[in-house]
Amino acid sequence: MNIMRELGLYLGCVIPTEQYAYEMSIREVLPRFDIELTDLYGATCCGAPLRNINLFTTMYLSARNMALCEEKGIDLYAPCPICHLALTEAKKKLKENQELKEKINSKLKEEDLRYKGIIELYHTLDLLHDVIGLDEIEEKVEEPLEDITFAAHYGCNTIRPNNLDRPDDSENPQKLEELMELIGIETEDYPEKLDCCGGQVISDHNESALTKAGEKVEAVQNHGFDGMATICPWGQRMLDSKQDSSADTIGESLSLPVLYYIQLLGVAMGIDQSKLGLELNLSPVDKLEAIEGIEEVE
Amino acid sequence: MSLIDLTSMAEPDEEQQENIEETLEALKEDIPDFCYQCGKCTSGCEAFILLELEPHSIMGKSRAGFIDELVNSEEIWTCMQCFKCQERCPQDLSPVGVIFALKNLAVASGKEIPGGYQKMLQSVLGNGLIQQTKEVLNRANDTRKRDDYDLPPVPKPEDMNKVQQILMKATQEKLR
Repeated sequence: MNIMRELGLYLGCVIPTEQYAYEMSIREVLPRFDIELTDLYGATCCGAPLRNINLFTTMYLSARNMALCEEKGIDLYAPCPICHLALTEAKKKLKENQELKEKINSKLKEEDLRYKGIIELYHTLDLLHDVIGLDEIEEKVEEPLEDITFAAHYGCNTIRPNNLDRPDDSENPQKLEELMELIGIETEDYPEKLDCCGGQVISDHNESALTKAGEKVEAVQNHGFDGMATICPWGQRMLDSKQDSSADTIGESLSLPVLYYIQLLGVAMGIDQSKLGLELNLSPVDKLEAIEGIEEVE
Repeated sequence: MSLIDLTSMAEPDEEQQENIEETLEALKEDIPDFCYQCGKCTSGCEAFILLELEPHSIMGKSRAGFIDELVNSEEIWTCMQCFKCQERCPQDLSPVGVIFALKNLAVASGKEIPGGYQKMLQSVLGNGLIQQTKEVLNRANDTRKRDDYDLPPVPKPEDMNKVQQILMKATQEKLR
């Protein structure tokens, strides 16, 4: 028994412009849990990368995107933790500072928008774990993934800072592990679990960013994990899409399957792999025998 | 290229110079005296080993008033924005917040914006997102486009010009 729930799908920048597998899996998997996703067509960047330039602009862009969603009378789902953090921060600051809220609203008015502050925000992690819930997910698992052990990669902004309502605990997050166990995947904590992928400095410190990503993949590989599950498009981009260049940068051979958790969930639910964007994972996901029928892309 | 060039193609005006002075003062007040230099932030800093970022030293230098030195340093641009320093500070301070404020000051005072952030800002001003829709590769090295996957159009403001104008003004504003 589940009531259809409508959410504004706020994709941010990285997902709709390059991380297509995440978006495809989201659009394929979530409606099967009675989540109706409504696109926010007028949306822009959440403003997070512009924190480095001007904090007011960040706040304005976050408020603008939330206002677009509020206009539809629905809550917002941001699958990118960096967006989710920026929106959460704006929501909190604008609640505490009415003067700032009015200043932002005077600018939003030029587009006939108004940010009220009545919106709830969700990320993939809390949406799956807390809103849909473990029982509901378990019911839909048809083909559990067997005999594989995966490492969890949360992404820095998913869990920190904890004074800004993060989807999981800042020092000992476990929701992703619980979600993995639900679909048959074994998992364990590892010392590098909370390490950063370097994604946010890739544009100006390319080599250092790739070193961060490479070192994390190498550590996970050396611990004997069969793969890694992510819930962040920046993390997936570094650990999967750029795994080859990370390997070159640190001078090691890396060969670790890295997938979005929601792709793994889709596989376990028996969804056609082509609808989950599995051909777009650039790490060697085809060596996972647990994913039945996964083949080298031709 | 500085923010002024990017957004207004004009010289920094006097009012803005005053704003910068004000923000400097505000930042000084913001930097609390109760950082006791335990170095916990630096020991966990994701950018410490590779890029030599030392959040505790930024806190110390800020408190001692070396704001200009910090604003002109490369160090402030190495932060990976992981928020570990803020999370773990035993005094509930936010080195990452101070670093953001210093970067904002650097930008407002006309210092050159590092290439990556400059591109992102230009892209946001141009089409609302930090990058254009990309062609990607699949595992077989074939090119794939967003359109190949039956996905709806990428979100974009109805009137991008208007949003651009608002954004240009917004980048000259202060948070407080």
